[in-house]
Amino acid sequence: MTVQAIRKATVGQNGVGAFILQCKRLDFHYCDWAGSSKGMNSFLRHSLSKFAAANPQIEITVSPRPRKHPVIVGHYINGREKAICVRNLQKEQILQKAELLRDASGEKLKRVTKPVKSINESVRGVWSPYHGGGIHV
Amino acid sequence: MKRLRLERWSGQLLSPRTGPSSCLRHQQEQRIAGRRLQSTSAGLDLTYEDGEELLSEQEAPKTPRKREDYPSPPPSAAHQSAKLAALHARLSLPKKLPLQTMARTLVDPSADSNTRFNNAALAQVGGSIISYHVAEFLLATYPRLPMTVLFAAAYAYNGPKTLQLIAKEWGVETAAAPGGEVDPGLLQFSKIKPGQGLSLGFGGGSTRPDKKSWMRRGISSRNVYDDEFGDVIPKEDTSELPQATETAYSNFVKAVVGSIYLHAGRQAAKTFVQQHILSRHLQLSTLFKFSEPVRELARLCQREGFEYPVARILSETGRHSRSPVFVVGIFSGTEKLGEGAAPNLTEARVRACVAALKAWYLYSPGKSVRVPSDMEEANAKPWEPLHVDIGEIIH
Repeated sequence: MTVQAIRKATVGQNGVGAFILQCKRLDFHYCDWAGSSKGMNSFLRHSLSKFAAANPQIEITVSPRPRKHPVIVGHYINGREKAICVRNLQKEQILQKAELLRDASGEKLKRVTKPVKSINESVRGVWSPYHGGGIHV
Repeated sequence: MKRLRLERWSGQLLSPRTGPSSCLRHQQEQRIAGRRLQSTSAGLDLTYEDGEELLSEQEAPKTPRKREDYPSPPPSAAHQSAKLAALHARLSLPKKLPLQTMARTLVDPSADSNTRFNNAALAQVGGSIISYHVAEFLLATYPRLPMTVLFAAAYAYNGPKTLQLIAKEWGVETAAAPGGEVDPGLLQFSKIKPGQGLSLGFGGGSTRPDKKSWMRRGISSRNVYDDEFGDVIPKEDTSELPQATETAYSNFVKAVVGSIYLHAGRQAAKTFVQQHILSRHLQLSTLFKFSEPVRELARLCQREGFEYPVARILSETGRHSRSPVFVVGIFSGTEKLGEGAAPNLTEARVRACVAALKAWYLYSPGKSVRVPSDMEEANAKPWEPLHVDIGEIIH
């Protein structure tokens, strides 16, 4: 038995095979009294049920947060959360913010300079000075 | 060939009994309102936790039991859980798979020892399905893998570590402690307390016939006696003791596959395994660890009738400097089998041999090779035999 083996685990590639939406929960906080929650209250009454039905993979919780500005908090599979304050926004704007949280991956925002990131080895390989004939000086 | 009636199997395992109901039973329904029912479907089709003892039992609790009294949440709670519904939708599970079964896959035997309410049976079915599909994929795609590497590759695809990763990537969280009042969308198992240590279950011995610990455990015997990763199967059942998080998560993933199989059928389960388990990335060439590659390559060439492998320097630089590089190729006659670069000649030869051996072992007829389970589809083309390898080079 000269070949032994090393135990490893496979690496997930979300979207190859199955796609799992990274946003798992959205918390909507509102205040009944404050004026900054006016748009939020209207959103909760009129648009939330449609939004929830269109995105069944997200758990949605609604809870009051008296005397505070309205907030949407997104919880993600990687354990992070993102919060957006939606004070004084109209219900259409709030819907946009909810969609933004839904589509986020949960990672910190980073500037993407190289469009392709791969876990596979380069097909071409690393340049080697000992191959390809070389140059005779 | 006659197909199996899946719905009958699932009926046995999952749904309430649908036999004729007697008048006596109607009267007793009133008295045993506090009993646990496996389903939320009301009416005549009731299943009792201990149906056989029903007639002899005279005393029954008058008031319904509270939710906290049960070891796991009742099936009726499944429809109230937003977490559970979200998880069901997130995995794009078929509509046929009800939320009650989904809730049951999240109950570990260590939380609820009653086999009609925990996921032990589903995990058993699902685990077999997963390991079958992984094994047929590996054997058909890489027919020459040595047994040790095949075990390690199976472990990499469906070992408990990977299944735990998968469940966490699905966004499943664990409940702090199991109980009837917890949300059914959380994974319920009793956790090992800090400082207790892992009970690996070997105290009671294994299912192997070798009695002494020093007895040799060869690779071929692992095929027969051990599990799909070549690990020993403990004799004692420790599933009701507190579990490691890894075990509970992996049982959950297996139970999900098992429940898909029972409710939606073989093809749906296969697709699910392909999408969630076989689609993950693994570089098989990193699993090898050679101890005597030069000898092994020589034996391989002898077995296959190739010429004896000879190492030749292809190029070199800086032989007398502090950082020389030698590129060595290993040749059988005029055929180059492999190539390796290293700062000394011995190491370069070893690397060349490793490259040659990996090229041999990792032969593949292609990623899209047909597997045996493809034959179970309707109107499948006739089976073409796969490449079957002779076996190990050195045992």
